[in-house]
Amino acid sequence: MPPDQNQPSTPIPNPAKVKPRTILSIEDEQFISELYARALTKAGYEVTVEHDGKAGLEMAQTDRYDIILLDLLLPTMHGSEVLKNLRDPHLTPHLHSKIIIMTNFEERQEVRADIERLADAYFVKVDITPNQLVDFLSQIK
Amino acid sequence: MDYFQKFSSQFRDRIVLLLILNNLVVVVDWGLSDYVFKLTGYWLLLTMLAIPLLTLISLACLSTAYLTKPTKLLWQAILHTVPDSRNIPAPKIESTTLGRELVSTLANNVYQLAIDGARSAISNDQAAKDLHHNEIATKLPVPLLTLDAAGVVTFANPAALHYFEVAETDVIGKDFHLLTSLRFSTIDTFDGWLDNVRNRIISDLHNWQQVSATLATRKTLQFDMAASYSKDDPQNCDVIIAIFDRTKSYKEDDQSLSFIALVVHELRTPISLLLGYIELFEQELNGKLDPELTRFMYQMKSAGQNLASFVTNVLTVARMESNQLELQLTEENWGNIVKQAVDEMQLRARVQGVKIETHIAEGLPTVGANPVTASEVLINLIDNAIKYSHDSKHKTIILSVGLTPDGMVETTVQDFGVGIPASVIPNLFEKFYRNHRNRAQISGTGLGLYLCRKIVEAHEGHIWVQSQDGQGAIFGFTVKPYAALANELKNSNNTDIVHSAHGWIKNHSLYRS
Repeated sequence: MPPDQNQPSTPIPNPAKVKPRTILSIEDEQFISELYARALTKAGYEVTVEHDGKAGLEMAQTDRYDIILLDLLLPTMHGSEVLKNLRDPHLTPHLHSKIIIMTNFEERQEVRADIERLADAYFVKVDITPNQLVDFLSQIK
Repeated sequence: MDYFQKFSSQFRDRIVLLLILNNLVVVVDWGLSDYVFKLTGYWLLLTMLAIPLLTLISLACLSTAYLTKPTKLLWQAILHTVPDSRNIPAPKIESTTLGRELVSTLANNVYQLAIDGARSAISNDQAAKDLHHNEIATKLPVPLLTLDAAGVVTFANPAALHYFEVAETDVIGKDFHLLTSLRFSTIDTFDGWLDNVRNRIISDLHNWQQVSATLATRKTLQFDMAASYSKDDPQNCDVIIAIFDRTKSYKEDDQSLSFIALVVHELRTPISLLLGYIELFEQELNGKLDPELTRFMYQMKSAGQNLASFVTNVLTVARMESNQLELQLTEENWGNIVKQAVDEMQLRARVQGVKIETHIAEGLPTVGANPVTASEVLINLIDNAIKYSHDSKHKTIILSVGLTPDGMVETTVQDFGVGIPASVIPNLFEKFYRNHRNRAQISGTGLGLYLCRKIVEAHEGHIWVQSQDGQGAIFGFTVKPYAALANELKNSNNTDIVHSAHGWIKNHSLYRS
């Protein structure tokens, strides 16, 4: 059996040339966050994982991360609330982070449209493997 | 009263005159018979009796005629004004001499009364039509709206204002679409109906089920709706709309959908993990596994992908059934969508030993499609073709994309498998339908083709199948070029059109941020 030709190739940025980008992964499913963190770390990112919504929001508000991977079904605070807080200039002024929604929960379409409008990207986790995520993030400026 | 006294004196004078005349006749009769003709005996007696008798009879007839004529004229005048007896002509009052003034005055009074009566009937009628003063319309607990020929709201009863949570000033004189955006469960929309009847029919009545509207407060209402159309209505109520709230009962359907969404989430989490770990193994165990284990790994990955597609199918069907699938049709390069779907299916084909050949015609126009659901159609059709190639000697699937003679972009998926008996073809696109003969050998739920049909129809396309038992099958479907779709948008004067699983949804943007 030949290797799967159709998997996207994973560009691994050369640490010498590219400044490692920081990622905050707010994800309550431990194994999934572990898988993402592993792939992203291998690709040269600095990954911080947080399993709780409220704690995740507080960490995100420090604006120390280039990218925030945000799950929706989170303990203590729903991901969409975290997103609204981060996008509200009164609550979180001048946030530079890109926010990427990663969820397996399909919201009603109008709710999803609201979330998509506030976020930089929206993925259904089952449709994107860790390597595909790395591939996508490498395209984010 | 004067006329009546005049009539009485005229009548009295005529009676007196008649009596004098009668007496004169008797005297003349007596004189003539006695002195001129010198009649005697029986002849004298007969003459004395007969002549005054004849005179009396003729005078009685004459006076009766005089007396009944005014009565007859009044009778005619009254009947002339009764709506159901309009064929009785107006009386000729000048034809009478006795009491002409009295009859004329009374007849005029009758006419005046009739005119007043008719006027008050008309004003009552108008009050009934002016819905603001119509008690039934204002007190009706059912939301009621009327629109003029241009679709501007001319009346909304208190129930409608309360239901849509608006003030009368926000609605009256405004375009109906500004009140709220309606979403319909089928292609049969209110605007479609109105466009159709406005140009062709004088009056019509229509109803819709499971219509939904989202208010400015984001509250979603679900209702059934009935509308009547009457061309050029003098009261500016060309369209009357009644709304029957069903939010509660339809909400129960929503709750079952929420349950499905939750189940889908719970299923997807382990599948995501599974696919993530397989990808990791694929990368890090590459070259360390023997060929058999490598094959197992790919089969595992293929099964995981299959399950993920199935779970997505279930959710899409559930959404479609509960009228919550809205497809935003955007301009897409169809060739790219097809290539991506084929790429996604390559592994599943390979583990089954099936080869996919793709032929995409050059220079195809862009299409109006929803990439996520359109991919679901392609994946389902390719997946079926892979499954049914199972026992085939010629394990190839040919996927072709080209233009039909009427300018639609058509995609066909051909396999050389067991084929489909003619008897089952008509039911193939129905929900939960499966070819019984293959049920035991080939896995599946009978959701895939049903879903394909629904999605293709929502794209205004057409899905078809051509097959002979044992000869393989060709499934094909069309999607519309974007230019044709854009043209439709232009003609419908809507900048934001969303297609539901069943048909157009027009989103009007007043309350949409």
